[in-house]
Amino acid sequence: MESLSIEVGLETPPPLAVPESTSGPAVIHTTGLSKRFGSIEALADLDLSVPQHSIVGFLGPNGAGKTTAIKLLLGLSRPTSGQATVFGLDVVRESTAIRSRVGYLAQDPRFYTHLTARETLEFTAKFFFRGPKSAIQNRIEETLDLVGLTDKADRPTKGFSGGERQRLGIAQAQVNHPDLLVLDEPAAALDPLGRRDVLKIMERLREHTTIFYSTHILDDVQRVSDQVVILHQGRKVADANTSQLLDGGCAYQLDIRGDSATAKSALEGQPWVSEVVLSATEGGDRMTVTVTDQDAGDSLLLRSILRDDALTVTNFGRKQHNLEEVFLNLVEGEET
Amino acid sequence: MTATTRVDSVELVPAGGSGWTVGLSNLLRKEFGQWWTTKLWWIQTLIWLIILNGVTTVIMLDSSGMESDALVDETVQTFFLVAATAVGIAIVLTLQGSIVGERELGTAAWVVSKPVSRTAFVASKLIAHLTGFAITAILIPSALFLVTAQFLLPEPVAYGPFAMGMAVTALNVLFYVVLTLALGCLFKGRGPIAGIGITLILMGQFFKGMLPEAIVLATPWLLGDVAASFAIEQPPAFDRMVPMIVVGIEIVILALVGVWRFNREEF
Repeated sequence: MESLSIEVGLETPPPLAVPESTSGPAVIHTTGLSKRFGSIEALADLDLSVPQHSIVGFLGPNGAGKTTAIKLLLGLSRPTSGQATVFGLDVVRESTAIRSRVGYLAQDPRFYTHLTARETLEFTAKFFFRGPKSAIQNRIEETLDLVGLTDKADRPTKGFSGGERQRLGIAQAQVNHPDLLVLDEPAAALDPLGRRDVLKIMERLREHTTIFYSTHILDDVQRVSDQVVILHQGRKVADANTSQLLDGGCAYQLDIRGDSATAKSALEGQPWVSEVVLSATEGGDRMTVTVTDQDAGDSLLLRSILRDDALTVTNFGRKQHNLEEVFLNLVEGEET
Repeated sequence: MTATTRVDSVELVPAGGSGWTVGLSNLLRKEFGQWWTTKLWWIQTLIWLIILNGVTTVIMLDSSGMESDALVDETVQTFFLVAATAVGIAIVLTLQGSIVGERELGTAAWVVSKPVSRTAFVASKLIAHLTGFAITAILIPSALFLVTAQFLLPEPVAYGPFAMGMAVTALNVLFYVVLTLALGCLFKGRGPIAGIGITLILMGQFFKGMLPEAIVLATPWLLGDVAASFAIEQPPAFDRMVPMIVVGIEIVILALVGVWRFNREEF
């Protein structure tokens, strides 16, 4: 875990490219976006670019500044400094026009409790479009069906559970078929099945919509996001394509049987090896080798080890991180 | 990229609107719905029929040797003076949570996250509540008062002057609606809103006669007297245009302050 190779920093954001399939024009663009509440710096110098039709996970522990950033983008709060545009429109001066193309789910969505789910969607829909009652009703039916609330459509939202309210929140965010869907912790109040459904909905919507969502559920990010932005204490600590973020880069992992200590010494003598970490596993040892030259690692590492006939390599490959490792490493690295 | 909503169905078109009116019609529909599709309207109507028409009908029935002119003046004056005070108190108590409550529940944050101007959010409440109170606390009781007066008073009530009195009472209603909503924009809790509103009304009841005329003229305290003076066609000792103009200016200032504050609110 010590050998993560993604670029991390506060002053120079990592210049990692987004995937080709999502490399359209930036839907969200921020430069030095900051927000202070008195002496508390809730968000500091956020530089962000969210390409069209991408799913971008906005990750961070509680209080990292995710919701603050989202509210700034929607014009619900004013930045202390910096600039931000959504669809090329300024978030301070043109927020109403921005919101006409955005679907937003708040972290803890609240609705008028005397209205039913259907009435809530109708009320929401009429902020965005007008037309024949039947056409509006069709849109509402379709949206209720999308989130699985058809059978509860005519119940006042007062009696809704947290999960049902969350589904209704997703429905009201989607009822206008937005160009950008901003979801603040969309799966937080849901059980595992509900979470799975939300992730499926997000996958289905990506064809038409850019999705920018915050979460602290790392598994969700790993499953659906193209790009991951990690915030910690108001500062961006990582911004990368998900696969790049999870890629171990110049680290390799080998499972070995035999005299691994000798192999370790031999490898440490190689000029292209920067670190070798050995740990015991069931039936052998696991060696993590960090190299300074990836080409050398690819071509020489396995050969170097197999020179010793007494060693057996049962597994070899580039090290793959999971997001939890990456996240903890970044966050803990920041704290130290 | 243009700033328009993507509407897939050919039958649906973007809601449109510009400036401060964006979202207003939808919000008005909701606010009017809360008045007229719930029991609120008939409860309010019942309250004002009992208070305003109940009190004045008792006076009409218990004339106890009063002159005809005096009896008509007495009932008309009572109607407008009670209306000025009681409706003011009711407005403050009813609307103290109109904005604060939505802020506390999170529905205000939800609504302003939609394509809606914040000014429209406040304006929709102002228009709906003004209309609601004007109809239930002025129009319907006034109509019943005139019908009752027709049967119980020895002399008819002049409709034109009475309508002038109703208009001044509507100004009084507007003042307290705007005051309560503006305070709702300025304060986070209900306490200061109810406290300031009720104190203002009660101060008028107890100190109107003791304070310098210049101060009293700058308050809504005299609007009941102005309304009654129009209705009974007897000019008061003061220039009745002064309180109306001053209160009109205060309404505009309060509305601007409230809207300015709500537009700066961070959700």
